[in-house]
Amino acid sequence: MTTTMVLTEGEALELLAFLVTAARTQLDEAAEYGPLRLLTAATRLADAIGPRVSPETRALLAGPLRQIPETAVRTSDPTGYAAKLDGVCRAIAQHLVAHLGVPSP
Amino acid sequence: MTNPVLDAIRTRRMTRAMTDQPVERATLEAVLEAARWAPNAGNRRLHRFVAVQDPLTLRLLRVVSPGMFQRPVAVVVVCIDWDRATSFGMRPGVRGPYIDVGTAAQTMLLAAHSLGLGSGVVTSFSQAAVAEALNLPEHLSPELMVCLGYAAPRQPAPMRARNPITWQTLTDWERFPSAKRP
Repeated sequence: MTTTMVLTEGEALELLAFLVTAARTQLDEAAEYGPLRLLTAATRLADAIGPRVSPETRALLAGPLRQIPETAVRTSDPTGYAAKLDGVCRAIAQHLVAHLGVPSP
Repeated sequence: MTNPVLDAIRTRRMTRAMTDQPVERATLEAVLEAARWAPNAGNRRLHRFVAVQDPLTLRLLRVVSPGMFQRPVAVVVVCIDWDRATSFGMRPGVRGPYIDVGTAAQTMLLAAHSLGLGSGVVTSFSQAAVAEALNLPEHLSPELMVCLGYAAPRQPAPMRARNPITWQTLTDWERFPSAKRP
């Protein structure tokens, strides 16, 4: 696995600020905003690291991660929302298997 | 039934993607002036509006505002002046000032729409962080932000409602027939 730095200090600080303030706002918000905020954070992280990661990771960031619309919440289609999240999780796991070089069983 | 006001109400949308085209100062001032005419309980004017156009301050506001999807070129932060509220005998946390935050915001949204601007409301932000970022005095609490800018051609999908909404689904007439109070 490579050790390329993919975030600047400024980008990392902005993401940190987003995550901490989202933890606070979530105390007063609808519970369904929890996944939304985490996905927004993931998208912002993807935007920041996109130019510096490997082509394979970039493909993951541009593809499966963008399958869920940025304003989507669970309410309108709970089953479909969970299925989409499962799909993204699966794609990330598949990418990690390859990226980390996990040997085949 | 239709007229220009109803048309404006019906066609306004939450703008979640904005271009980087600046908003002219006179246009921003027109939006702020509209807020001055918003319905306001007792004409007490318990609010302060903080208008922000500086790019670095806007960036700072955005990173402490998880609900801010857009990258606005101007933001109006609507604050409640609790010293002023107290001077009218209001206790901390009473609901009146919050309602007037809403009337000011809606008035600004419609004004912005009429001027060709996109706009979006954000309430998901850290009040503590925003107060720090804007160097607000202790008696001003930031309650809502109106994001302003020109709408990008491509917008994120709107948030979908759980069920179809009409005015009829939101309205009951006269008294509830079977409501029982404890």
